[in-house]
Formats: sequence, structure tokens, C-alpha cells
Amino acid sequence: MQVTFKVYRKDPEKDGKPGRTNYTVDVPDGATVLESLFKIRDEMDPSLAFRCSCLRGHCGDCMVRVNGSSRLTCTAKVSAYTQKGPEISLDPLRNVPVIKDLVFDWDAFMWNKIKEVKPWLEAEETSANGENSVSDAAMQDIRKVMSCFYCGMCDEGCTVLPVDFNFLGPAALTKAYRLAFDPRNKDSREQVKIVEKPKGIWDCVHCYEADEHCPRGIEPTKRIVALRDRAFNSGITHEAVARHHESFAASVKESGWLDEGRLAVESEGLTNVKGLMKLLPTAAKALSRGKAPIPYMHSKRPDADKIKKIFEKAEQEEK
Amino acid sequence: MQEFDVVVIGGGVSGLRAAVAAKRAGVSVALISKTHPLRSNSALAQGGINAPLGKDDSPERFIEDTLAAGDGLCERSIVQSFAQEAAKEVLWLEQMGVPFNRDKDGRLDRRRFGSNSLSRSCYTDDRTGHIVLNVLYEQFQRLAIPAFEEWFVTSLAVDGETCVGAIALGLRSGKLDSFAARSVVLATGGLTRMYLPSTVSIGTTGDGQALAYLSGARLMDMEMVQFHPTVFPKGQGLLITEATLGSGAQIVNQQGAAIQVSKDAPRSKLSLSISQAAQNGAGSAFLDLKPIGKDKILSFFPQTHELLRSVAGLDCTKDLVPIHPVAHRPMGGIEVKASGETSIAGLFAVGECACNGLNGAGRLAGNTLSEAVIFGKRVGEAAAGYAKAAVKKNFPAAQLADEEKTLAALASGDSSQDSLSAVHAELGGLMNEKVGLIRDAGGLTQALDRIARLKERYQKIKVRNTGRIYNYELTTHLELGAMLILAEIVARSAQARTESRGAHYRSDFPNLDDTNWKSHTVAKLSQGSTQLDKKPVAN
Repeated sequence: MQVTFKVYRKDPEKDGKPGRTNYTVDVPDGATVLESLFKIRDEMDPSLAFRCSCLRGHCGDCMVRVNGSSRLTCTAKVSAYTQKGPEISLDPLRNVPVIKDLVFDWDAFMWNKIKEVKPWLEAEETSANGENSVSDAAMQDIRKVMSCFYCGMCDEGCTVLPVDFNFLGPAALTKAYRLAFDPRNKDSREQVKIVEKPKGIWDCVHCYEADEHCPRGIEPTKRIVALRDRAFNSGITHEAVARHHESFAASVKESGWLDEGRLAVESEGLTNVKGLMKLLPTAAKALSRGKAPIPYMHSKRPDADKIKKIFEKAEQEEK
Repeated sequence: MQEFDVVVIGGGVSGLRAAVAAKRAGVSVALISKTHPLRSNSALAQGGINAPLGKDDSPERFIEDTLAAGDGLCERSIVQSFAQEAAKEVLWLEQMGVPFNRDKDGRLDRRRFGSNSLSRSCYTDDRTGHIVLNVLYEQFQRLAIPAFEEWFVTSLAVDGETCVGAIALGLRSGKLDSFAARSVVLATGGLTRMYLPSTVSIGTTGDGQALAYLSGARLMDMEMVQFHPTVFPKGQGLLITEATLGSGAQIVNQQGAAIQVSKDAPRSKLSLSISQAAQNGAGSAFLDLKPIGKDKILSFFPQTHELLRSVAGLDCTKDLVPIHPVAHRPMGGIEVKASGETSIAGLFAVGECACNGLNGAGRLAGNTLSEAVIFGKRVGEAAAGYAKAAVKKNFPAAQLADEEKTLAALASGDSSQDSLSAVHAELGGLMNEKVGLIRDAGGLTQALDRIARLKERYQKIKVRNTGRIYNYELTTHLELGAMLILAEIVARSAQARTESRGAHYRSDFPNLDDTNWKSHTVAKLSQGSTQLDKKPVAN
């Protein structure tokens, strides 16, 4: 089958400007995108750069965008992408610095962020004569998280990273979970303290794209939520975040919906004069544009009592 | 120029373990790896890691099983110390964070794997290599060891009889740099990519063996290449762990009727019997995983299930999986002592690129990862000890400039119309057919002839990409060069060994010959060609 691959190109040793080259190659039935790339490099253009290692879906190194979706080229069959015509576009992942052609900067994209969470267990060499006695259920959870092969699809799908590239991202936060929730870690608060800082767990917007994208079903968002709960329940979270959460929940519990004015004031803290002063310009603007009622009133929603009962039930269950 | 006490080349399990051990021994260490360590071939190991931890097990039984798989070619003293240390090293991995599967009491679970006589393989589902690799990389990062990731070593620096470092090409920078070291550890992995298909990653091209050989080190038992019996053979080849057999999977024909093979035979015997059954009219063999049960497949073999679906388009909870023996791992490699010392001072080797006699003519399933961590630790410590005592020698000043010239020469002049992949494809097919599971004198002679011609063709292929940054044409060229050098040695050693033993089956010499061949083959570069010798097995 003749297929035209429209490949993103960039050569840092030439003008460094992004472009695209079309390669039309004859590929056998059942060929993968990676095998096509080998053919292009070998027969048409030896300068084409792309990564790969394991060749069979184990390692995550060959991740690129195939017709716009992030895929491992080693398991992506050409025939699956030519239904609408014999053309396939190949691009590096989105929002990632590109070094050459399809080779992008994994360090900046993921490895450096993983390093930030101190990605190791603080374990002592001679801690015991035998193994740690832990349940298989606990280990199963860690095994699931450690099945991550750093394909980057969760970070690629993340909706925060395009806005803020410095956000740690779901891959690094999932690594933090692996350490914080390993019952054998001697200092499991460490990772929680790291990811609780700005650019960490509180910057996640819960869009669940990471869970949609993860090919191993690791559910990074669920891990981020667990880290948030841990931070909150162990008192690691800084006060403003804790106040924000408490005010948010209290307002919905009492009135059935969010009282934004109260949330702003309580998040800053009632005794935090400096913080409250900061709110004044926003409050003034809201008032002048009719966005806030005068006098300020926050009425209960109909059936607010039912919502309150949900809260009470949840609180009971948590106990 | 970079300077360290110890430079470890290769970022798989052996290399990371060696780097961690050397660093803990108090010297400065750097790791050079041509791919990111977490993408290395170690990540493909699945079934388990052996240690005699069961109440019914003992180092003695472990020794017996390892010796039996090695079919008379193991070095007993190496096997003994290996078996003694295995439990400690696996427990260390657990303490460092490997989330091994547990039994109901919370102790390490073990499963039956390959020709182990009992359940001896600790495991993490079917991702044991991947997870052990991850935990070692965690500990490696904990020690803040400098890592030169995506750096390709192009040559070793040997001053007289002493290795004093290496020269490597940074793929990202496109620049060559010298790495001066008091000792160098090669942990570059196997060579099985010279076979097509094979079970290995693209970089498993024998770089370290070729570097050591060209520097004057000896290679041992190079004819011993293990074929894995249960591999989906299409495309690149997809290994299905033999642990599935231990959990109830059956080898069957297309109709689903069992093919009579001994499931717990060593890999060489199992591979031969599957291959012979196919030739004797039973048709292709298939692996039937259904007897394991769907729930158990999904919980204990999730990766197998996932990859068979994505690579082969099969649902192994319902479909039969075509299998065929495929080239897997070498037992041979750079000849080393138990400490990893090669015949060149300051040069150490460990893991799949090395041969200390542990595996003899056949590696016991589950011993690969044990070997990597046990000897990784030992060799890392030995290299650190050597570095502490070694007199510092100067890095040969001219070598970097010479290496620039060598690389430039690969790109100068007109290239033939031939291609690297055409040469590689022919080599891969040839090795499979003539230097594969079944060998004979005629086929080996033909193989050597054709390898010689492939080498000539290879010499005429130039690197056409003049860029240096991520120039994979250049690294592919260097890797193919290494494979061609080693392919000849594998074939020469196979030609010399006129008997059948372990992974080496000669249809013209089908019997074991202890009288003449209870010996290792040893290959050395001598005046431009390979000199082959025998070295008796020490018992």
C-alpha cells in the first residue's frame, strides 16, 4: 500500500524552523508506523530523527502524534490510520519543546519534573533480615501505579500544561503517589510536602483527561485526588487552601450552593487584614457592574436541606 | 573532558545496580547510557527473579537447577556464590521498594518458572524487569549519580594494557567527549538483535562485547544463544513469559489439541521440541492461555494481555496465540572473573554482555534478573575498589581527535546504493536460519561466507546524514558494525563446537561430548583476525 507520511521537521543544525516533509512509501500489510519510519530513514531521508527502543509496546519511547492523537509508533498499525485516505501526519507531542524532527525534549516535558518529587523510597539498606510484611492489596496498588511506562500520554492530554508548562503534571504527580502511598516508605510525608506547593496538586483542574489518555488505566487524576486528601488530612496543606476547602464545603452544605463572597473572605481568613484588603478592588468592581447584590445576600436554594443530608451522610461515612 | 573514578556504560538493571554499589562504596561514579535507562532492554523481562526463599528450597537446590540448565558448562564456584547471595539481593530489592506480589501472609510470593524444580521466582505481575528497573533507577537518582543519558559510547580508551576511560557521542549535543576513569564497567546488554526476529529492544546490538573485543579482551562461549520457546513470532517478535506455562497454559496445535512437550524442560529442549513438532507435521504450535482462567490472566499477566491485543490483535483470554522459538539472550560474552574483571586491567563487565560461566550452555528462567543484580552489586564494588587503589593514568590526549576522524571517515566518500537495513535484514535471517536453533557444518560454513560478504557490503555504506544531533543513521551504522563482528564470532564458535550442548544444537553432532568439549570456547582478536581457543570448565 502506498502511503504518504507528512512528517513534522525541524533541524537545529540548519535554520531551526519547523516545517513538514512528505514521504510516499510502499508499506506492507500489517506494517506499523515505526516500521514505515525505518523505511523512510533508510531509503529516503537518513536525516529523519525519531526515537524508539523496545519495538513492541513495553517502553514508551516512540510516542508521537499520529494523525493528531498521541500513539506509540511501534504498536500503531498504518492501516488503522488510512481509513480516510492514504495519508498520515506525524508530529511531536503538543506543547513540548522539539529538538529535532519527532525527537522532543523528554527532560523538560517529564523527566525533570519527576526528579522534583524526590522519586525514591527512603529505605535503609539493613532495615531488616527479611522482607517487609505487607498485604498484597497494598502492593497491588503500587504495582498498578508502577506499571507506568512514561509514555507521556497523560501529560499530553493534560489541560493545565498548555497553559502552564511548569505544572508538575499527572506523570510526576503519579510518581509522587507511588512513593507517598507505599507503606514501606520511611518518610512518606516528603512527597506530599513537595507536591502540595504551587505547580503541584492544587493546580490540577480535575478534567480527567489524564485518566482518559492513560493506556494502562492508572487513573492519574484519582492519584492526584488521593494526594490532596492526604495533604489535607495530615495537616500538610497550607492554611489558605484548607480554609478555602472548608468554606467551600460549608457554604454548599448550608445553602445548597456556593457563596462566592463568603468563599473569598473566608479563604483569605477573617483576621487577615492585608489579605482582605486585596479583595476590595475586586469587590468594588463587582458591585459597580451589578455582579453583587446590595445588600449582600446569599439565599438558600430550594431543597437545600436535602443537600445538607448528603453532606451529613458523607461525614458519617468518613468517621 | 569528564573525569570520574568509575564510569558505568549501560543503564539497564546490571548497570544501575553496579553504579549504585560503586557510589555506595565511596567513589565518584557516572553512568553513560545510549537510551534512557527506563527504556532499556531490562524493561522487557517479565516472568520473575529467582531466589531460594521458600521453606522447601535451598541454595543447594538452586545450584542444582542452575547447573542442570547450564548443561555441564557452568563454572560451579560462580553458581555457588550466586545461589548463596540471591536471597539477600532479592530482599534488598524489596526493601528498596519493589512491590513484589505477596502471599496471603504478606510474604514474597513465588511462582514456578521454566525448568526450576519448584516455585522460586519472585515477581511483580508480568512486569518484573520493568519494575525492578524502575526501583533501581529510583535508588540511582537518590544517590545523585551523574547520568549521561542518550550518550553513545564509540570507543574505549586503553593505554597499554589498562582501560582508562571511554569516548562517547552525546546524541542531543551532537558532540564527542572523553570520559576519563580509573575503572570502566561495561553493562551494555546482549547482542540478540543480530537475529531477526528476536525478543530484544533495538539497541541490544552487542556494542560492549565488540568494544571490549576490539580492545583486546576475550569473548567466551559466544556460540551459546538461547532461543525462547513461547514467542509470538510475527513482526518484531513478542515474548510471552513461560510463567504462563507454570500457571496452566498449554502448548497446542491449531485444533487446540495438546502437543506433547515437557513444559518444565530447559528452554533449549522446549524450543527444540516445539520446532520439531512443527516440522513433523503437527503444524504450527500455539499457546493456549485459557486454562489459566480469565481473572488470573488479567491479574497476573496484564501486560501479556495488553500487548497481545495491541501488537498481535489477539485476545488471549479467548484466542490461541501462535508461537515459535525466537532468539532471546546470549549466555556468552566478555570473559570475566567473578569480580567482573576482564583480561584488560581496569575494564569490568557485567550482565548480559559478560560471561563469567554462571549460565554455561543455558540460562535458567528467572536467573537473568538475579544475575544482573547480584553481579551488578559485586562488580560495582570491585570496580570501586580497583579505582581506589589504581594509579591514575592519563587519558590518551590524541584519542578524541582520532575518534572525530573515524566518525568523519564513515561519512566521507560515495555510499553504495545498499542500505544498513538491507544488510541487517539479511544478517538477521541468516543467523536465524544457519546459526539458530539447529546448526550444522555446512550451514555454518555458508553463514561465515555470507557474513564476510555482508561485511564487505557494510564497508561500502556511508553515513549520508551530515548532521550530528540525533543522527540515528550514524549510531545504527556503528551498531550494525558491532553485530557483524560478533556474528562472525558466534558462527566461528558454533563451527568449532562439534557437539550438542544446551542452546547449541548441531544436527551433525547431536550428542553431548564431555571428552572433548567440557570446555568453553574463547575468542580473541589476534593480528586482525579471530583466534579461537578452548578453556576447560573448572570443576
